[in-house]
Amino acid sequence: MNSSRIVLRLSFVVLAVTVAAGHTILAQADLAGLWRPQPRNQDGSGMIGDYAGVPVSPAGRWRAETWSPDDYDLAEYACRPHAWDYSLEGPLSQMRVWSDVDHATQKVIAYHGHLNQQEQETTIWMDGRPHPPANALFTWSGFTTGAWEGDVLVTTTTHLKETYIRRSGLMRSDRSIVRSRWRRMGDYLQITSILYDPVLMAEPYIRTTMTWVEDPTLVVAPYPCEEATEVAVPRGEVRHFLPGQSLLPGLNPNLTDRFNTPYEARLGGPETMYPEYIAKMKTFPKREGLKRGDLGRGGGGGGGN
Amino acid sequence: MKPLHRHLPASRLLLACVAAAFVFALLIPAERVYTQAAQGAGQKQVWPPKLEEPAAGEVEVLPVRGQVSVIIGAGGNVTVQTGEQGILLVDTGIASMSDKVWAAVQRIAPPRKPLRYVINTTEHPEHTGGNAVIAGKGETVPLRDANYTAGPQGTIQYNRASVVAHQNVLNRMSAPTGQKSPTPPDSWPDNTYAIDQKRFYFNDEPVVMMNLPGNTDGNTVVFFRKSDVISTGDLIDLTRYPQIDLKAGGSIQAFVTSLNKLIDLCVPESHGAGGTLIVPGHGRIADHAEVAYYRDMLYIVRDRIQDMIDKGMTLAQVKAARPTRDYDGRYGSTTGAWTTDMFVEAAFASLSKK
Repeated sequence: MNSSRIVLRLSFVVLAVTVAAGHTILAQADLAGLWRPQPRNQDGSGMIGDYAGVPVSPAGRWRAETWSPDDYDLAEYACRPHAWDYSLEGPLSQMRVWSDVDHATQKVIAYHGHLNQQEQETTIWMDGRPHPPANALFTWSGFTTGAWEGDVLVTTTTHLKETYIRRSGLMRSDRSIVRSRWRRMGDYLQITSILYDPVLMAEPYIRTTMTWVEDPTLVVAPYPCEEATEVAVPRGEVRHFLPGQSLLPGLNPNLTDRFNTPYEARLGGPETMYPEYIAKMKTFPKREGLKRGDLGRGGGGGGGN
Repeated sequence: MKPLHRHLPASRLLLACVAAAFVFALLIPAERVYTQAAQGAGQKQVWPPKLEEPAAGEVEVLPVRGQVSVIIGAGGNVTVQTGEQGILLVDTGIASMSDKVWAAVQRIAPPRKPLRYVINTTEHPEHTGGNAVIAGKGETVPLRDANYTAGPQGTIQYNRASVVAHQNVLNRMSAPTGQKSPTPPDSWPDNTYAIDQKRFYFNDEPVVMMNLPGNTDGNTVVFFRKSDVISTGDLIDLTRYPQIDLKAGGSIQAFVTSLNKLIDLCVPESHGAGGTLIVPGHGRIADHAEVAYYRDMLYIVRDRIQDMIDKGMTLAQVKAARPTRDYDGRYGSTTGAWTTDMFVEAAFASLSKK
């Protein structure tokens, strides 16, 4: 081998080592900025009552089957927001992230996040503080701590109120813990959210579709909400379906939608999360498809959020 | 030996220069990022996170808002309001925890301020067990001169805090003269009401006691209006299904009705949460949203059991159908003083009474 080839190869080795080292040095990328959500499947593109791909437990499925769309017309829930972890993948997830920096050490004490949808906010404490006592107040966004693992900010959220994970009856309980992985790649941010709910989920529910691009021109508008006092459902009444009486199209074995997701798969559960389930789905009987609009908006698809 | 560069064509030299430039370019942002390292960077997070609760036999004090705090771990929660006029407690926990509760109260209260009032939300022992010991450490403001003996005020013990409750609570803790009472006289309320509400102004805020039946017909919730905190007693129990005491006038219907009234008292601060804070009889500090969810749970379970009764199902059939199954993972229990079965039985009985 002549010396020029040796030099060339050495150059590549040096370059590779430097890139790898540089990547490590770059590990703790700053997350602050204005982030515009990238178009994505807003989880739940099927029929209302289609839980395919969600690892609901039997209790979670029962709970979901109880849900009535009239729930949104209860005064108590008129201002209920998408909680932080759900809002990340939902609509209007324009996000501002900023940091608190300790003046003396110039180290980040906390990241703060603000989402456009119903003004949900989070604080990610980076200073190693413990989570509050179990009996402290729970909130929609919970209490979050974070630590870097390489170039990924891993956050852990506790003290979460019970709330929906889709606006069609799927709930998470107040025993949930959410672990999220924030990764910045240049001007892009990707967040993976893992929901651990021992009550309404049979396995962790992983959501990976959430990406943003940094956009310094992004405007995050206010989104206030005033409690509704005059609503369609009389005050004090709770609308729900009794067992076996749900009118949600996804729970009707005789209906299907343009995706032709079989009824059996629409019931959800851990099995439906995994790729091998696709082969099993093909063995289920096919039903007559709904035409778009047969069951009103969302009935023929696109009703998840 | 010839210099190396003589063997290198211009294009390869250029490539080497580009590589070097790339290396330098990488180092520039590295410096910027270094200054943004986190406090305590490198420390691993504990998984799953451990949330601290008081150890068995110990209590913890959590501030709620304003001059209101809560003592947790004494059987039932004990709400504490303190101020210039003294100390007010809502409930006293179980008897065996009285000393721990009183020590915690002393840590919260300003020095040398007396315990003036104890308000009991119900007669159950996890809420009244400490009455005798704890009320005995307080004092009542005399309504009359110490030598005044005419009229009912003459019987008040001034060397004891006044114990306030709904009349039905006193009725169930005491007994007619000559009969043995279920609780000793020094734990009885001495200041009762038998209408919808009783109120007074204490520590610079209105304190409103409202009779909202649920567990019994004598439940009281206490609204601290300036602090914007409501102590609900067992009208809300975030640790289990609510205890329905049928013999004491409790029912699942009463729970739903009273929780709806409680929701009307709560004003959320923003987006359905925050604002008015709730101290439940058991469990964590809560707000408007938790009251609504708790009401929903009882409303839905009530409707399911009522539907089963209407279809002619027996208690055994109702229990076998598990009408609470989606809530059991959160509130249910197969052991202890109040199980899921007991809750379903009580709900069934109260709905069958019509």
